[in-house]
Amino acid sequence: MQSGIPSSKMFYILIAIVAVSSLYFVVPGVIVAEETPRTFLTHTGLVIQTTGEVIDPIGYDGDDLDFDPEKFMKDFDYGEITVLDDGTVLREFYITARDDQIMEVSPGVFYNVWTFNDSVPGPTIRATEGDLVRIHFTNEGSKPHSLHFHGIHKAEMDGVFESIGTGGQFTYEFYAEPAGLHLYHCHVHPVEEHIAHGLYGAYIVDPKEPREPADEFVFVLNGLDTDFDGENNFYAANTIPFYYQHHPIEINANQNIRAYVVNILEFDAVNNFHLHGTLFHHYPAGTDTVPSGYNDMLTMSQGDRQILEFNYKYPGLYMFHAHNTEFSEKGWVSSFLVKENTDDFDIQVEYDDII
Amino acid sequence: MTSSKPVLAISAVAPIVLLIIMVAFLLGPASSFLQFGIVLPEVSIEKIEFTGNEIQATVRNTGPVNVNVVLADVNDRIQPAAIEPDTSLERFETALVRIPFDWNEGQPYEIGVTIDDGTRFAKGIDAAFPSLEPDIDLFVFLGMIGFLIGVVPIMIGLLWYPFIKKLGKNSFNFFLAFTMGLLIFLGIDAVLEAVEISENHLSSVFNGELLIATVIILSFLALYGVGKKLTQKAEFSKLSKGLAISLMIAIGIGFHNLGEGLAVGAAIALGEVALSTFLIVGFATHNTTEGLAIAAPLTSTKAKIVKMIGLGLIAGIPAIFGTWIGGFSFSPFFTLVFLAIGAGAIFQVVLSIFQYMKGKSDLLSNTSLFAGISAGLLVMYLTSVLI
Repeated sequence: MQSGIPSSKMFYILIAIVAVSSLYFVVPGVIVAEETPRTFLTHTGLVIQTTGEVIDPIGYDGDDLDFDPEKFMKDFDYGEITVLDDGTVLREFYITARDDQIMEVSPGVFYNVWTFNDSVPGPTIRATEGDLVRIHFTNEGSKPHSLHFHGIHKAEMDGVFESIGTGGQFTYEFYAEPAGLHLYHCHVHPVEEHIAHGLYGAYIVDPKEPREPADEFVFVLNGLDTDFDGENNFYAANTIPFYYQHHPIEINANQNIRAYVVNILEFDAVNNFHLHGTLFHHYPAGTDTVPSGYNDMLTMSQGDRQILEFNYKYPGLYMFHAHNTEFSEKGWVSSFLVKENTDDFDIQVEYDDII
Repeated sequence: MTSSKPVLAISAVAPIVLLIIMVAFLLGPASSFLQFGIVLPEVSIEKIEFTGNEIQATVRNTGPVNVNVVLADVNDRIQPAAIEPDTSLERFETALVRIPFDWNEGQPYEIGVTIDDGTRFAKGIDAAFPSLEPDIDLFVFLGMIGFLIGVVPIMIGLLWYPFIKKLGKNSFNFFLAFTMGLLIFLGIDAVLEAVEISENHLSSVFNGELLIATVIILSFLALYGVGKKLTQKAEFSKLSKGLAISLMIAIGIGFHNLGEGLAVGAAIALGEVALSTFLIVGFATHNTTEGLAIAAPLTSTKAKIVKMIGLGLIAGIPAIFGTWIGGFSFSPFFTLVFLAIGAGAIFQVVLSIFQYMKGKSDLLSNTSLFAGISAGLLVMYLTSVLI
């Protein structure tokens, strides 16, 4: 009755199949030869000894970044300046929207950013009160986009009801008013998505009579929802989590500091800003000449912005961060390195661009 | 009629060769053509351990594509960590994520990892529990637990032997049926436990439920063959049919106890259950019935005490090995496999007993059969409530 392979051989075949298939699950990848452990210092000051790799959201030296927070914080775009016949200063800006770029936002984490001029946040637009601002907007993205500026302007320059399609262009034109700190962002629906991906920037209108000279910085408080679950995975001042903690911002003691702080955080209703070692005078939207308060805490809702003026009495390393510690432990933590002021100190802000 | 050997070999190999060519074609020239849809990466956190000042998570790439693990967090707060051997994980590859963290005992934690595309995967632990040091103390402790839940109750159960032996034929049938009831319950219990482990610990990529079904059937068929041989041999040798059946039951229960021991050992090691004396009492009471199951078929023969102890050890000792293996290196995969083997073995034993009873008496007493099975199931249910 029995023919072909005897049943005992069948049994061995079965055993072999079982053995091979269980090996498939047992052997955990490639067995790596034991190496001598190396020691690492982490961003929280811990010491790790490991034969493997360290995953710590620091490690940028700034050069390999697509976006440089160091440069961004002092990078003001004053536009191309023409003085019109009536004496009005015309400032022309060129902004291009894209939505196809992948940026390394934290070491090893790659995220599809939507950008104005290849940057998140977009360029900081700066004009003087009364200037004519003309923005040549081009949409090189695959989706419709727009530019919506906060401030006083005509309805047709509001960038809300006319979205600019792929390859489209639009020229926004308005007078820079009022003096203060404003912002701009894409206003195409779903607005949350367009903002969360990075389509926003700061817009500064300097008063006709310039503010007191100071060392100036822009901090756009933002977040990144890299897994699209409606919660931010990362928080930061100027996009890159933990960046200024490891690249402390160098300032001088007894030097006036002015920070332009814009909160554009999505998904979380409230963001805040806490400064160590000193207090600041703050001006909501920068529209008043009298400070609203003298504090070391600032609570801001989405779209809120404040101008902060302060100086440090003592040199040293001082943090500034979200006092909402969840945000700070996900990257919105920064620091100032305050150095001893020298007598022949030159004001760092260049005013030659301003007429 | 008989074809030549080369032709036979070619006919065996040809489909395999064609299959290989097709796979090579699909992966090679046709791969771009077949690329559609979005491939989602997946990482599973298989195990979380708490040591001195560190939380250690074993992560496995259970998705279809290679990933890099680039960030670790505790309770959704970013923490610096080390990853061994390295950050890149190929399919099925595992890595150990070591997060220096001053954790608090008894507190719940959620451990997360983020991969290169920004997706975060997380797993929660109800209560942090210091992972056990693999030393001689733990070895003895786990061994004791295995001994208490496996060997001792079975030995106690075997003590029913003289009582059952003195019963009449109907009562004997009742007890055999009772054993069947016990075993059916045990088998179902093992399947449910395996499914639970599959859901909680095994990544879906392993197809846990299908694996359970496959292993149960394989185990059933394998033991059916072995059992047939054993009972056939019994007809020609001194080995009685009753003893052969008892041996089969002992082996089946042995597999079951190995799986159960793995689960208990793992639960201890992972700190997932507070292992109270009460739990041990529950397991022990429950497992006493296993001794009864082994003893029942023996009553038709003259069984030597040594043989009975031997059977008890075959059934009970695997629990000790189970707690050791489960406690020192928990593998949800193998726990599941052994539970499924146990289930298959037990269902096979139920069939053997049924056939044995049918062969023994021409008129199978329906009353004692149904009463026995029902009583067995109920007793098992009641003792299981104690756990």
